[in-house]
Amino acid sequence: LTNRLRLLRAERGWSQAEVAERLGVSRQTVNAIETRRYDPSLPLAFSIARLFGIAIEQIFDPEAQT
Amino acid sequence: VSAAGPPPPRPEPADDGADGAAPEPGCATGLYTARDLRHQIRFLLWMAATAAGYIGATAAQRHGASIPMPLRWGIVGLACLLALQAIRSYLAFLRTADELLRRIQMEALALGFGVGAAFSVLYPLLEGLGAPRLSGRAGALAMLLAWSAGSWIGERRYSGKGDA
Repeated sequence: LTNRLRLLRAERGWSQAEVAERLGVSRQTVNAIETRRYDPSLPLAFSIARLFGIAIEQIFDPEAQT
Repeated sequence: VSAAGPPPPRPEPADDGADGAAPEPGCATGLYTARDLRHQIRFLLWMAATAAGYIGATAAQRHGASIPMPLRWGIVGLACLLALQAIRSYLAFLRTADELLRRIQMEALALGFGVGAAFSVLYPLLEGLGAPRLSGRAGALAMLLAWSAGSWIGERRYSGKGDA
């Protein structure tokens, strides 16, 4: 599962810790998602989409390779 | 249209929390939220109480002759209650834990259970071949050690430290 989380975060100038705090998860969870070591649960994926105000498929792509 | 583009992301280390933003208070690795840390401290305190209860109950068994039977029952019962409370606090920790931390703990528990069960079933076969005889508690010890090792391995795996 590839994702654009790091890019979206950079566009807003947020640190991993800030994103983690907004999502109510640990900073390492954000880091693991960005580095594709961990795929978030569906509720967390929706929370991420809501945080950035875009559709979930605009962040996560099960097929694309980065 | 600005050619500058989005600002560059702040440098993000693998997991040490030194990314320009202050890590959570008391959170050395960034793996624990403040709530996780609270729950884990509570669990560790109950574990310490359980260990003290176990030591007390063991001592009461050894010196059983000088201790009235109802008191011995009370001490052992207290040790059991403390252990149950430790289990409850671990479940509370697990149910509310950050989802990556929960994943790490689940994998560690699977490793601990597997190692403990395999050790308990297979080691007697080795004893039959001449390996040293171990206490009946050895299986539980193997389980706890494998659980601890699994937690450590999981934290490294998901932080990227294990990639090297």
